[in-house]
Amino acid sequence: MTDDKLDGKGDPVAATVSPLRVVPSAADHDAPDINELLTRVGRGDEQAFGAVYDALGGAVYGMAKRVIRDPARAEEVSQEVFIQVWQSAPRFDATRGNAKSWVLTLAHRRAVDAVRHDQAATNRENKYDWSNGPDYDEVAETVTISLEHEQVRRCLDSLTGLQREAVDLAYYKGYTYAEVAKTLDANPATVKTRMRDGLVRLRDCLGVES
Amino acid sequence: MTDDLHSLIAPYALDALDDLERARFEIHLAQCASCQSELAGFVVTATRLGEAEELPPPAGLRDRLMAEVTTTRQERPVVAAPAKPGVLRRTLPRLAIAAAFLVGAVGVGGYVTEHNQTDDLRAEQAAISKIVSASDARTTTKTYDGGGHVRLISSDIADGAYIVASGMPNPGHGKVYQVWVVKDDSPVSEGVFTTEGSMVMEDLDGADRIAITVEPKGGSKQPTTPPITTLAV
Repeated sequence: MTDDKLDGKGDPVAATVSPLRVVPSAADHDAPDINELLTRVGRGDEQAFGAVYDALGGAVYGMAKRVIRDPARAEEVSQEVFIQVWQSAPRFDATRGNAKSWVLTLAHRRAVDAVRHDQAATNRENKYDWSNGPDYDEVAETVTISLEHEQVRRCLDSLTGLQREAVDLAYYKGYTYAEVAKTLDANPATVKTRMRDGLVRLRDCLGVES
Repeated sequence: MTDDLHSLIAPYALDALDDLERARFEIHLAQCASCQSELAGFVVTATRLGEAEELPPPAGLRDRLMAEVTTTRQERPVVAAPAKPGVLRRTLPRLAIAAAFLVGAVGVGGYVTEHNQTDDLRAEQAAISKIVSASDARTTTKTYDGGGHVRLISSDIADGAYIVASGMPNPGHGKVYQVWVVKDDSPVSEGVFTTEGSMVMEDLDGADRIAITVEPKGGSKQPTTPPITTLAV
């Protein structure tokens, strides 16, 4: 649970609201192609679905494996993600969003939900969970280190210790900010701020348009 | 908006909120243009964190997926309703209103939100806000094999509940999930959904649980199958 509350002041619903839109990202040069493919998937094009998988399957699986660790579970989650992509593609609007982010966001949410769900089940079974601590020493299977990986690693290294740990524990381990705060023995409000500072710095370092 | 909620943009982009906070923030997000703008950059940044972990996907996954999609029905597109105040509620079931409003928030991870601002929608949002921000708001989540889940946020003070279904397994050809409020063992239908949807349920005084059953398309007058899920209100 949280100690934050919605602000009672000022009914948000009564506020003047401008039409909602997503700021498209210009960061991904290949995004338009995936956008177009996903639009075709939305019309039931199975071949386009295969192409979306070819473009993003490795990223979805790799991210899921990083978060979940267990390869079989990561594969299961990846399969669910792509089925959801297939099912929900008719609702994707290429003028409003970026297909790659759409898929990866969906996948990350699923992966995080899966680890939290599995963790809850484990906690019910084992009072003491020795596997739960932060571990930075895991060596993944041999991976061809991509340029993207290098750049992200370099940008992560440019963060302060707390910023990096906050982003790392949240994104790659599925920790809530409250869990991050507990793990790092820090104030939750500070953790939220560090996450924001960290993302701002990463965003700028990676050249993502703000 | 408030500093408090604004501070949740980054944790939200990193999926570092618990269920209740996530739901609260999504309500706020739908109405906060500056949050959406900042979030968009954070989401792309988070996407890069994910992409950096790319691995060769498991052999066989592609073939299984290609086989599975040939027998999997797609959702229907969300059609933007005409922005005439008062029309929406009469022409669309309220589940559809909430689903259209939340398709981004729930279906695609929170930053694509599309809807028209109508009075009805605002009323819907106000009802959701009232429930999720009540001091006694509590959340119950039922997760299904495969990662889909149903989340119920309820409040006695607000006398209502907000239910969100996300990524549910396909209920089967010609089938839907139907949501019931059960008072004294008599179920009252609240609406139907396929793999995801959300709705507000009001006037729950005396209700003891929410049940979900699988029913033929269009829903049934009374449940015809045992509930797949029962959630205490």
